[in-house]
Amino acid sequence: MHRSTLQIAAILLLLGVVAYAASLGDKQEQATPPGRKEVLFWHFWGGADRATVEEIVRRFNESQDEHFVRAIAMPGNNLDLKFFLAVAGGDPPDLLNIDDPVIADWGARGAILPLDAFAPEHEVRQAEAWLFPAARRLATYEGRLYALPNGLDIRALYYHQTLLDQYGLQPPETLADLDKIEATIAPPGLTSYERHGYLPDSRRLWAWGYVFGGQFYDEASQTVTADDAQIDAALQWMVGYRQRYGPAEIAAFRAGDQSLPGKAFPLLSGRYAVMMDGQWRVRDIRAYQAAQAERGEPITQFGVCPLPPPPGGRQRAGWVNGNNFVVPQGARNAAGAWEFMKFWSGMGHEAEAAQTCVAGGWIPVSQQVAQQPQFQAFLKSEPLFAQFVELAGSDNQYPIPVVPAGPFFNNEIKNVAEQAMLGAAEPDCEAMLRDATRVIQRQINAARESEE
Amino acid sequence: MSSTRNRIAGYAFASPWLVGLVLLYLFPFAASLYWSFCRYDLINPPQWIGGENYSRLAEEIASGTGFGQALGNTAYYAAVSVPLSIALGISLAVLLSLPVRGQAIFRTLFFLPSVIPVVAASILWMWLLDPTDGIVNYGLSSLGLGQPKWLESPGNVFAAFWQTGSLAPGSKDALVLMSLWGVGNFMVIYLAALGDVPKSLYEAAQLDGAGPLRRFVHITLPMLTPIIFFNLVMGLIQSVQAFTQIYIVSEGRGSPAGSTMMISLQLFLSAFQHLDMGYASAIAWLLFVLLLAATLLLFRTSRRWVYYGG
Repeated sequence: MHRSTLQIAAILLLLGVVAYAASLGDKQEQATPPGRKEVLFWHFWGGADRATVEEIVRRFNESQDEHFVRAIAMPGNNLDLKFFLAVAGGDPPDLLNIDDPVIADWGARGAILPLDAFAPEHEVRQAEAWLFPAARRLATYEGRLYALPNGLDIRALYYHQTLLDQYGLQPPETLADLDKIEATIAPPGLTSYERHGYLPDSRRLWAWGYVFGGQFYDEASQTVTADDAQIDAALQWMVGYRQRYGPAEIAAFRAGDQSLPGKAFPLLSGRYAVMMDGQWRVRDIRAYQAAQAERGEPITQFGVCPLPPPPGGRQRAGWVNGNNFVVPQGARNAAGAWEFMKFWSGMGHEAEAAQTCVAGGWIPVSQQVAQQPQFQAFLKSEPLFAQFVELAGSDNQYPIPVVPAGPFFNNEIKNVAEQAMLGAAEPDCEAMLRDATRVIQRQINAARESEE
Repeated sequence: MSSTRNRIAGYAFASPWLVGLVLLYLFPFAASLYWSFCRYDLINPPQWIGGENYSRLAEEIASGTGFGQALGNTAYYAAVSVPLSIALGISLAVLLSLPVRGQAIFRTLFFLPSVIPVVAASILWMWLLDPTDGIVNYGLSSLGLGQPKWLESPGNVFAAFWQTGSLAPGSKDALVLMSLWGVGNFMVIYLAALGDVPKSLYEAAQLDGAGPLRRFVHITLPMLTPIIFFNLVMGLIQSVQAFTQIYIVSEGRGSPAGSTMMISLQLFLSAFQHLDMGYASAIAWLLFVLLLAATLLLFRTSRRWVYYGG
């Protein structure tokens, strides 16, 4: 009797738990309102950003009487694989957000549509004029927009103002200034270093190559130009640090450059006086300073400046990537996707997009959004972030070339720089870049042949 | 009639597995052979291009780029991790066979790493092997030893020793270390095999004056050779096909400098990042042929050193 009673109680409890879980599911799966057409939207945002995304979706849906966006969050690093297989399987979403250099790869194979395939032509022309140059480059393949960027990722140098003051140094305005910072804070030849002024991260040859005035690809001749003199000069300059400090010391640096989950921004602890990183680190600095204030400690000061060029290099230059909306072949509601893309990115909805960028801490893709009063007020309270927005408007911000085999191009350039900076053998930069150029060109040619 | 009906019934009951075998194994197997002679990107129909994918592989092997680099990396990883895991597995099994107090606890502790999910273990190792903050380098520093850069260095101990005379473990050595941590599976098999060695052999040898080392070399090892052979084959296949931990610690790109670009990662990236399914299929088939050849070679040479006790 007792056992029987316990069993019944356990079963009832289990049924209760199941019913509760089911009710939670019901809340999340809101039905598409009558008379509206669904837009299935896949994205990778999780955590706090996911709430921001859901708020944007809610605002859009409230403004609509024709479409209804259903956002599906897929955190993790294989969203692009799931998407590609969904397209291949004939059951794609209507809209996807990506941040990988795959637009040309996918566009060339017909997996995603150029905007003019589903959006009014005059609006596509308007988008081309409306986007920042960097955003337009990010989304253009063979003269056509294949995506609508919704946020840019910009790199700059963060500097530890308090630390520079201690050494009597100024923030770097030229490459020589940067070299001086490192030579002063960490003189070459010591047996061990607790601090460095600056050490180049090998993966950033993309950024420095552009700053030195180079171009990695010639669109007109469809030729890889990673072996051009300016890129070689950039790599030689990076290798100069290896020659002064040794590859082992350079390798230890990379360990401190956000290479592990949860790794703290090394600039905060003063391990480095200057580091290259993106606008998202402004959050870390703000949190760090808030914690200092709460503990009653003196507030450490930080600054941001553009990547300093060598003589003859580009001003306000660097490497850019960002978030792009793409619409797949086979989308059932491309028109609805286009409306949501415009709403989020801001074309024709600049005020709403300004609100979106403030909420997400994102850099807008157009000056029309950046100049909105709400966003300007945000920038006044976030001077470091404002520097990144200023750089986003520069004409000298370049993405990884938008060509088929873009990810391969990206990886091979990083490999060359890593081998030059970290390999045991003394590097021959010119030969390494020439070999990489040949390998990348072959891969691009093979990928292009797939188009025909 | 009765035997025919029985045969039909047998096939009917086995049909779920047979359907799975055909649809999920034989069809992909055959399809990938066809695709290895095509240019195919999953979206557009395959186009026949003959041996172009294979000639590209041959060129890359000759130049040491792309697949050639992956082949070299994989060969290093297999050549170092398989012998070490066999040696470590046998050593642990012998030690854990000793009749000491807490034997069961020790056996459990050594086996535990093998049941930790690969993804979680990989992230754990990234923390452990951090050149500046990791506990491994902290321990080495306490002992006054060097500070390897592990996953941040494209080198390896042999190349470093050859070039500089010092031991400087790099990324592939870190992967070897990670694989050794999961040696528990092999250890358990050796433990079972040790239990099968007749005690009478040890007693007879001991009566004849053989010491512990000679008993190990002349009795334990020969009796273990069938299991060593099994683990050699399985270890070779597993090391050549290792993917998950490499994908995670190399940020999915074989970093640094392509030093952890293994064949399996090269295959995955070619298929799903570079959208070059034909070339990826060619890699898969070449991998299959290489592994088959290596396994056949092991089987052939095993006649000379594997002892199947009567």
